[in-house]
Amino acid sequence: MELRGLGIGWRAEIDLTVERLPGVDFVEVVAEHIRPARLPESLRVLRARGVPVVPHGVSLGVGGADPLSPARLAHLAECARALGSPLVSEHLAFVRAGGVEAGHLLPVPRTREALDVVTENVRRAQDALPVPLALENVAALFGWPDDELTDAQFLAELVERTGVLLLVDVANLYTNQVNLGLSAVEALDRLPLSKLAYVHVAGGEEHGGLWHDTHTAPVPDAVLDILTELCARTTPPGVLLEWDDAYPSDAALETELSRIAAAIRRSS
Amino acid sequence: MTEVGAGAGSGVLVGGEVDDGPLFGARRDEGVLMSGHQLDDGGRAAGEARRRLGERQGAVVAALVGGGGVPEGFDAGRLRVQARSLVAKRRSVVARSRPEVAAAAGEELAVLFAAYAAERAEPPSGYRADADDFAEWLRRQGRLPAARRSPWWSRLLRR
Repeated sequence: MELRGLGIGWRAEIDLTVERLPGVDFVEVVAEHIRPARLPESLRVLRARGVPVVPHGVSLGVGGADPLSPARLAHLAECARALGSPLVSEHLAFVRAGGVEAGHLLPVPRTREALDVVTENVRRAQDALPVPLALENVAALFGWPDDELTDAQFLAELVERTGVLLLVDVANLYTNQVNLGLSAVEALDRLPLSKLAYVHVAGGEEHGGLWHDTHTAPVPDAVLDILTELCARTTPPGVLLEWDDAYPSDAALETELSRIAAAIRRSS
Repeated sequence: MTEVGAGAGSGVLVGGEVDDGPLFGARRDEGVLMSGHQLDDGGRAAGEARRRLGERQGAVVAALVGGGGVPEGFDAGRLRVQARSLVAKRRSVVARSRPEVAAAAGEELAVLFAAYAAERAEPPSGYRADADDFAEWLRRQGRLPAARRSPWWSRLLRR
């Protein structure tokens, strides 16, 4: 089962909306929000229709130094089994350190030394999962003083060493272009897009010259342009819209999906 | 717009983790930091790299949520923006999971929550605790009515 077409993040608050929205080919669910043994009825409805559901983890901390939690890995694995998912996704980020939870996905130092640690973590995760793992590039508000590699170089190395798949978030590429000067188009040229599992798009907000990846706004044209650039470089697999709070009307979400479809079409 | 709450039925935990583990917390997650000999490959070199990474990331997290200083070489302004963003995220989760608490704070929710967060000595142990602590903070400010007195035996039913 491969991911194709348009997707949207399934959220409990908009479960009926997601079920009713035309043109939704696949969805993603935050793994930490569901119990595999008691799936929400809405996800069971979607699965009965043959809609792929991807568990998306937010707390594994693949980019961290702590050994990966066996319980969290088991949970991801159980989600994948219960949902019949073709893959599982997580982030290249750390979420805890020194025994303290950060409560957010934080950027990893882009150094060769960190790469060795993250490589080990990815292999551990892959061993524990019954389906392939895809890693997402995250949005950053800050960088590390000794960053040696770009996001894309770091991920490309990781893919080379482990065969991990990519979840390319074009809004996060945009965010890091604005905030860290990392060119989104150069990232698209560097990333091994043959390993692309699927794509994220999302809206955000600008404050004080920085881009905040809020997932509570329409996708800006600048982000859709990066999506078009990506689709010009590879056959697009599924492209998924993330909206996490302050939900708009069903019609507004439908409009977002059609804007995304149009951006994909502009690539050919 | 979908009916509020409709379909949010079995098996969904809003704003929380399945294993009730902490999203913030002073206690360590499962597992002690491993030493190099427990890694499959890379041996001592990777173990040392892991230890250093943990230290450096620990300093960043401490700066962001634990009142620690800005680590050497980092942009203090950017870390401040990140720290504020983390508070805003906690605030939105509290507002979603405890709308009555957010309503009590009214239009000043952002300012009040930021003040509450700044006053904390330690990060909360999770989003639920965060919401409870904020509610208690509001009560002390006189912005939330005191909790209704429950019968003496209700203590026996609490988790």
